[in-house]
Amino acid sequence: METEINKKTPLYDEHIKLGAKIVPFAGFLMPLYYKSIIEEHLNVRNNSGLFDISHMGEIIIKGKDAGAFVDYVFTADVSKIEPDEIIYSLILNEKGGIIDDVTVFKFSENEFMAVVNAANTQKDFSWLHYQQSEFQKKGYDVDVSDVSEKIGLISVQGPKSRDIIYPLVDEVIKIGRCGFFDLKYKPKPVTELKHFEFSCVLFKDINVEALISRSGYTGEFGFEIFAPAKETKILWDYLLKHGYLSNLIPVGLGARDTLRFEAALPLYGHELDETINPYDAGLEKYLSGTKDFIGKAALKNVKSKEKRLIFFKLSGKQIPRHAQRILDENLKPIGCIASGTYSPSNKFPIGSAYISDTNVNPSSLKNFFIDIRGNFEKAEVVNPPFHKKGKST
Amino acid sequence: MTVNGQFYFSESHEWISKEADNIFYLGISDFAQSELGDIIYITLPDVGKTYQKGEKLGEIESVKSVSEIYAPVALKIISVNSNLNDSSELINTDPYGSGYIARVEALVHPDESGLMDKNTYESFVSSSHA
Repeated sequence: METEINKKTPLYDEHIKLGAKIVPFAGFLMPLYYKSIIEEHLNVRNNSGLFDISHMGEIIIKGKDAGAFVDYVFTADVSKIEPDEIIYSLILNEKGGIIDDVTVFKFSENEFMAVVNAANTQKDFSWLHYQQSEFQKKGYDVDVSDVSEKIGLISVQGPKSRDIIYPLVDEVIKIGRCGFFDLKYKPKPVTELKHFEFSCVLFKDINVEALISRSGYTGEFGFEIFAPAKETKILWDYLLKHGYLSNLIPVGLGARDTLRFEAALPLYGHELDETINPYDAGLEKYLSGTKDFIGKAALKNVKSKEKRLIFFKLSGKQIPRHAQRILDENLKPIGCIASGTYSPSNKFPIGSAYISDTNVNPSSLKNFFIDIRGNFEKAEVVNPPFHKKGKST
Repeated sequence: MTVNGQFYFSESHEWISKEADNIFYLGISDFAQSELGDIIYITLPDVGKTYQKGEKLGEIESVKSVSEIYAPVALKIISVNSNLNDSSELINTDPYGSGYIARVEALVHPDESGLMDKNTYESFVSSSHA
């Protein structure tokens, strides 16, 4: 039973004005689509799209021992990145199960920011806060704070993203405040940012200063912009007003999901959860080999993958959905769907699944079926991504 | 194509509209298609089959969800709109015309089936989905 009251992002009224279909997602009322998931998806692949992702959580970790802390709670080598870089990482529980997948920004040796899945913000913060207390007991200096409600997050994605961002910003090449954040280094010009680097910009005319990163969840070139919550609306309107620069249209969560899935980017609750370890999910490259982290000891006992993630396409038109069964050629259940959707770029249904039958070799899986509400639909293993980067197929 | 007859709507968002005598077009409402979003796939009913009022006669699938289609009156399927097999998006673009689902013979007249006229249906939608 749904008793929880859904929160609104700072852009909720804008979504209503734009005629969005609103749905509850991860405790927020979010736009599913404005006009059409397919149209919005293809516009991101071909031009550019504007996303409200303010529902995502931001957790700041600071203190003299912040580096040691992030290295312990995150699986990747977080403290070693440069202070204008981002790293993808997992948070594991003691058993090696995935609590969340996150990106971590390094502001300085003493300050980091984890950007976390909206559905997990509370859980992650509680977990990190508990770990903080354990660190403090040992005399370490670290402080974890959830600043999610103070930050609005807007994403501009697509091959033409630079055509709208570059003309609208002035560089802020100074050490110190950047909107909500405090930078201890001189940011790079935005035009020089590589993937997973960030900087600071001032949006012209509206005078909004924001952190900007070359990152996204679509498989396309793009930016994510972290602005103070109260300035998010003015920034959103400003970008939409200049949408002609890059054929920018607002894009809802529906296309965000089809875009991320074509790019084979995992989604927590689908490809990832606490019963899945990083090996199952094929994310072992995000486990540091050189330092200790929570969950590392337990992972030593994982001899082989318990489940294996595969990607597939269907020859029929019915769309596979989360938790439906995978059947082998003798119709014996061998696994479960993680994600299933329609690929607007390819115009056929696609999906991912965990094969839990360890006798099955996924690479030699030829004929298999998805049980879609009693219809056994034929599927074929595919190597992702499902889209051609930078252009629609 | 244009469907010219009077429209009758069910609470589950199907419509029927008279073609001739007791032959009717059947489809889903503009509200229903807009709730579903981009329609990818439809399971059409079986030609010649009889369905009771409220019985499931097909399934419509959009990128995000699946929805069942119910018979708004007791009916028999005369023909189906096979264009929808390759172009199910017609339901999105023209729900009251070329996006119709089937031609049916009404076994009970819609006037006697507790259906709504257009105005009543529109206020039903705005009151129950405000």
